[in-house]
Amino acid sequence: MNAPDELRYSEDHEWVRIEGDRARVGITDYAQDALGDVVFVDLPEVGAEVAAGALLGEVESTKSVSEIYAPLSGTVVAVNAVLADQPELLNSNPYGDGWICEIAVAGPDAADGLMDADAYRQLTNP
Amino acid sequence: MSTLRQSPLHDQHVSEGAKLTEFGGWEMPLAYPEGTLAEHRACRTGAVMFDVSHLGTVRVAGSDAFERLQQTLSNDLGRITPGRAQYTHLLNADGGVEDDIIVWWLDDTTFDVMPNASNTTRVVEALRGPDVTAERAVLAIQGPTALTMVAQVIPELAGLGRFQVRPFNWNGVAAWAAGTGYTGESGVELAIPSQQAGRVWVALREAGLPPAGLGARDTLRLEAGLPLHGHELGPGITPLEAGLGWVVGWDKEAFIGREALVRERSAGSRRRLAGFAVDGRQPPREGAEILHRATPVGMVTSGNFSPMLEHGIAMGFVEVEPGGEGTSDGSDGDGDWALGQRGRILSARPAARPFVTPGQFAGHSF
Repeated sequence: MNAPDELRYSEDHEWVRIEGDRARVGITDYAQDALGDVVFVDLPEVGAEVAAGALLGEVESTKSVSEIYAPLSGTVVAVNAVLADQPELLNSNPYGDGWICEIAVAGPDAADGLMDADAYRQLTNP
Repeated sequence: MSTLRQSPLHDQHVSEGAKLTEFGGWEMPLAYPEGTLAEHRACRTGAVMFDVSHLGTVRVAGSDAFERLQQTLSNDLGRITPGRAQYTHLLNADGGVEDDIIVWWLDDTTFDVMPNASNTTRVVEALRGPDVTAERAVLAIQGPTALTMVAQVIPELAGLGRFQVRPFNWNGVAAWAAGTGYTGESGVELAIPSQQAGRVWVALREAGLPPAGLGARDTLRLEAGLPLHGHELGPGITPLEAGLGWVVGWDKEAFIGREALVRERSAGSRRRLAGFAVDGRQPPREGAEILHRATPVGMVTSGNFSPMLEHGIAMGFVEVEPGGEGTSDGSDGDGDWALGQRGRILSARPAARPFVTPGQFAGHSF
């Protein structure tokens, strides 16, 4: 499974890309593969305050429901509204067009507590 | 995992890159690399091939075979002839469905009875016939172009009728074919000796038939409004409640469960199976509450996203008030029905089954 070097990862299989004071969040290639074809994404609300580890939304495939947890704390400042009609982007491009939301964070070190790509690859392919 | 049974076609599935899953004690393909949605659409628009070797085969043969089946199973074999297949139930004394079954009537005194994988032991005990499941693989080729594509490889199967059963020979392989399936499309099922099944699989793949897994099999049968044992059917559910009165051979004098069904027919069923269409893509799931004017009146037994209709669909049982036709009195408007799950309300409306009709999407592209 693909896990880009420049991202950070949670144990719940979310990825984080820090861009200035925002953290873009999605689910990993490993997660989308395990879920199978995604047919519905329940997105968080813009403006919602989330704490690391708290429920952020849900991803549903033809076979199951999976909860998405906030990989870090902050305010949701953007959601990928395209997913309402094209949830399959989570399968086809989990690190690109299939991003889920953006969370405003304090600074570039906000993701320091998360795994780097090597550690995440170890977790998913021990 | 080591205790799971594997299909004679297991190696083919592994080399196809299939994701495997446990089902009814078997390790079977859930989806191939194209994924469940693509497999589903390929079946509705053209044709796909499933390995359904996990279905059981119980052979009932001999001069008393017909009578044994008549006394044990609900449907009436007197309605068909040798060379035909019939959908039927094994009931318990309360009229509950122990299993739903397809019977292939091979010749005058030989029947292949095909139960669900997890119920095969139950059916073997009831019919006292040998379990010949391990001797064959079963391929289900389904879709509007299924028969045409099969006939390109096996010409003698051209013209196979719906529910027709016949033997065929292909390059030294002696096997059986039936015009049956579980997708709501026309199709063919082939029972092939295990050792030779791989050759037939490869020939059909090379003819252009894509493989499909149990994920698509489930979404297809749901769109077709077909019941799945353990969901819409089970030991505590009668065929009348499930809307399958046509599976009951009322003219037969005796079969297991008859008395209970006769009572239910005259007193009326306590619940009925209904279909629902959800507004929006969120899949309703088994266990969701069915709400009528905010009052819980039943439970969803199967639900998912409909790949063809692109919204959620569900089946479930709705309580029937004594003497009533059902909860709906004909005055229902928008907003009267909903499904509740995980603290959320999905607005829904009653929908006729099948949700998708045979051939509705034949030749469409997506």
